Amino acid sequence: MDALLLSKLFGQLGVGGFLEGVGITLYHTVLSTAFAYLFGLPLGILLCVTDKGGIHPIIWLNKIVGFIVNILRSIPFIILMVALIPVARAIVGTSIGDEAMIFMLIVAATPYVARMVESSVKEVDKGVIEAARAIGTGTFGIICKVLLPEAKPSLIVGAVISTVTIIGYSAMAGTIAGGGLGSIAVTQARVSNAQDVIWLCVALIVILVQIIQEGGMYLAKRFDKRVSRNHKNKKIKEKGE
Amino acid sequence: MIELLHVTKEYPSAEGPVTALGDISLTVEDGDIYGIIGLSGAGKSTLVRCINLLERPTAGQVLVDGEDLTKVKTKRLYEIRRNIGMIFQSFNLLEQRTVEANVRFPLELAKFKKDAAKARVAELLELVGLSEKAKAYPSQLSGGQKQRVAIARALALSPKYLLCDEATSALDPNTTTAILELLKEINKKLGVTIIVITHEMRVVDSICTDVAVIDQSHIVESGKVADVFAFPQSEIAKQLIIPELIRTVKSAGGSKLRLVFNGEEADTPVVSGLAIECGIAVNILYADTKNIDGKTYGHMVITLPEDEKQAAKVKQYLDKNHVTYKEEI
Repeated sequence: MDALLLSKLFGQLGVGGFLEGVGITLYHTVLSTAFAYLFGLPLGILLCVTDKGGIHPIIWLNKIVGFIVNILRSIPFIILMVALIPVARAIVGTSIGDEAMIFMLIVAATPYVARMVESSVKEVDKGVIEAARAIGTGTFGIICKVLLPEAKPSLIVGAVISTVTIIGYSAMAGTIAGGGLGSIAVTQARVSNAQDVIWLCVALIVILVQIIQEGGMYLAKRFDKRVSRNHKNKKIKEKGE
Repeated sequence: MIELLHVTKEYPSAEGPVTALGDISLTVEDGDIYGIIGLSGAGKSTLVRCINLLERPTAGQVLVDGEDLTKVKTKRLYEIRRNIGMIFQSFNLLEQRTVEANVRFPLELAKFKKDAAKARVAELLELVGLSEKAKAYPSQLSGGQKQRVAIARALALSPKYLLCDEATSALDPNTTTAILELLKEINKKLGVTIIVITHEMRVVDSICTDVAVIDQSHIVESGKVADVFAFPQSEIAKQLIIPELIRTVKSAGGSKLRLVFNGEEADTPVVSGLAIECGIAVNILYADTKNIDGKTYGHMVITLPEDEKQAAKVKQYLDKNHVTYKEEI
């Protein structure tokens, strides 16, 4: 590709402009995913543990938390974002820029993450939990030593899906609050209807998502001890005792 | 000693409460291998879970060494549970932990020091014969090996009791035998009192000292295995213990005698003895006996001659030779 084509493709933003866009998108995504998990992980565990048939049922608490999570989950992000403008102004002091955007992403992603975590933790075999109870493990011990470690591969898959969703949110949020690839695409479309720039942004987001998806799945597989890791072990298994 | 006193468990349902256990009372003495046998749905699994209070009885008392588990505080319950190991039909190992980490699990809870835990794990794996699999994951093991790991885990805190919930039901016959041998050894060597829940006759037959037969949420009969197996009283016990015999007796006409061999009488060939001494040839309808250390155990069904005098002669001969029998119609 010669320099002329390159500059044509990247327009007045230049390669640097796009790289910066990728950087900002990643920054928003990583930070808000991290915070969404900080709040969402305990919430998801709480939803699972306090549910009817959970290891420590507290039905009223489960109903209340579940209700709030459902409300936040049912508002489309683009509307939630607009609704959150005054809240963002009150809490982080501004309704535009990185802080405001990350705040909105956290609010939108936390309930999503909570449900993801809940469904992963619920997959843990009831028999294994029972075995832990039978040796006198308390609720906290079961969460730390059984639920989370046993759900780890599924939690990683959930984190991948959540991260990809948050990338999508961050592109949307870019239109009103902050920078990043979404913001570049929308601004360019508005100003000059530069189709190539828009498609380049799309391509970059697709690449980002692919990297996160594949990398995450690789990690999930590596951490999962349920499948024999090499052929030799598989043979031993087949041979039996 | 474990005592269940009038234990009842009911589950709420749309059509009113469903009884899973109705007024169950039983006593397990220290050193016993106590079998609880019944068909699926009889309430066995609920019963064994009432012993360590994984299921809380609706009414009744669960006494473990005199302490009523239904009354103790949660913290004390956790302590008592560490004295009652449990193994399951589906093994229930932590899939993301290695064999040794699975066995270490109870030790972590009991706050064992690292070195002490390591030594204990090695000791336990040796006991169950899986030392070379320490670093393997459960998914790399066969069913029998998984159950061995589960046994090692259950014994980690040197419990006085071990509950086995259909522990061999998912295993093939050879592996079942090996696991039962291991349980027997644990009972003998470590003095662990074992409670076995099963629907398989052979499990009770091969390792238990005592047995309770449970049917439709109630215990229908119980006692020493030799006694219950010699003369099962209830219909369900007969079905479970001597199903073939019952079928044979029902399908054949005429009067029959069921001979029971408890291993008490000398190894005399009864049927040929009858022929030689009394000159009466009897027909064997059914026989399931085995010889252990020169003593005979099991059941045999023979036809009784129609002639009353001859029939009396047969009985006389049996009495003389101390063979237990019962007339079956």
